[in-house]
Amino acid sequence: MKRSVLVFLLIGTMLLQGVGLSACGKKITKYSTYSFDYFDTVTSIVGYAKGQEEFDLVAGEILAELNNYHRLFTIYHRYEGLENLCTVNELTDGVHRTVKVDRRIIDMLLYAKEMYDLTGGKVNIAMGSVLSVWHEYREAGLEEPWEAKLPPMEKLAEASKHTDINKMVIDEEACTVTLTDPLMTLDVGAVAKGYAVEMIARSLEEQGITGYVINVGGNVRTVGFKGDGEKWTVGIENPEDSENAYLAYLKLSGEALVTSGSYQRYYIVDGKRYHHIIDPETLMPSEGYLSVSVVCKSSADGDALSTALFCMSLTDGMALVEKLPDIEAMWVTADGTRYTSGGFGEYVNE
Amino acid sequence: MNQEFKTTPASKNGVRLLRNDLIFIAALFVIVSVFGLCFYLFRGEGDKVVVTVDGEVFGTYSLSEDVTVEIRTGAQGSELNLLVIKDGKAYVEAATCPDGICAGHKPISRKGESIVCLPHRVVITVHGTDTDEEPDIIV
Repeated sequence: MKRSVLVFLLIGTMLLQGVGLSACGKKITKYSTYSFDYFDTVTSIVGYAKGQEEFDLVAGEILAELNNYHRLFTIYHRYEGLENLCTVNELTDGVHRTVKVDRRIIDMLLYAKEMYDLTGGKVNIAMGSVLSVWHEYREAGLEEPWEAKLPPMEKLAEASKHTDINKMVIDEEACTVTLTDPLMTLDVGAVAKGYAVEMIARSLEEQGITGYVINVGGNVRTVGFKGDGEKWTVGIENPEDSENAYLAYLKLSGEALVTSGSYQRYYIVDGKRYHHIIDPETLMPSEGYLSVSVVCKSSADGDALSTALFCMSLTDGMALVEKLPDIEAMWVTADGTRYTSGGFGEYVNE
Repeated sequence: MNQEFKTTPASKNGVRLLRNDLIFIAALFVIVSVFGLCFYLFRGEGDKVVVTVDGEVFGTYSLSEDVTVEIRTGAQGSELNLLVIKDGKAYVEAATCPDGICAGHKPISRKGESIVCLPHRVVITVHGTDTDEEPDIIV
């Protein structure tokens, strides 16, 4: 009698222990969340934390910061009491005002100017006039696909006369920006996401936070290692339905991976896809690549360079990448052939 | 003597019982642990397709069972993404979103792969149990 009670108690204890082990709150677990609210794309956050609460705290901070950057960098929305790039682009009595903006806008614009110089003008945030023509035709084409049209070249050429980045005048001391050509506007689509993600990732690193990945529309930035101390595996999606689901597997910890793809945003005119990466020279969507991926320390560099490389020949692009330290790239041409820079292989997980 | 004779086997028996009990308990412990571990490792076995709308789970479907799912969103469910699971692959057959990028996406079947419909805030992701070879993030 006593024995069966004893055994019963022991089994009970073991079961409880088993439940306790599997539901153990202190074990480091992987969590993830999505948001659609920022930079007109999907944001996903993956992180390792001791519990949902801890993850929510960090993810909440990331999303709040993304919201701040989104409000500052958007060219499509105005917010009560906030000067942002939308208000910088606005005309008052036919001219752009001198706008006093948040320091973060000034820093980003200066960075974008640097990237303009580095890429020989392939990244040009002063191309707003041209990109807005494309935006208008793309939106209309998506709304009524049977009416989809390409923007006439005359219209694009006329708009391209107002894309001189030197007419964006920045006063660092006063924290102001003035567009001195009334017909020019800024479009920071090639820089803003990557820049915002980088700033947020650095702030997490400064706080000693590790084990997170932020992905804003293909701008991936890893923060530290995974929960088990391993590097993150990042798969670059193969847009084609083939045996190989991924174009490459990379191992990253603390680096950024940014992929620009012609399959990410496009509209169809007469059965042909026209994507969103516009070459500043031809004023047309850059042809030749399915995707270009850049691995580097900063997701800001990754964002700008992947866009620039998308609009450059393989020879010129390769020369640029090899000239820059700690930047590696992979190009996938329209026929599916892959080309990689010298050090890209170091990140590849075979 | 008699008493001693009687008590000795009893105590011997008592010792044996205790030892058997310990073996029994140890064996039970091992069995329960193994069982628990298996349960823990293989919980939710089988590849699943999880659909979320604006971050909220809309539904979970087995990848091994053919099914067609109407993902209704918007006011009065006016917007639609038609999810089809067939032969172990999931794809969006049709959608009312303006860009149609989700419907143009290749079928997905591997853990971690996803189809996103930005206008409708729909994410369709494959979840699975296999641990190796699958990336943590897909771009």
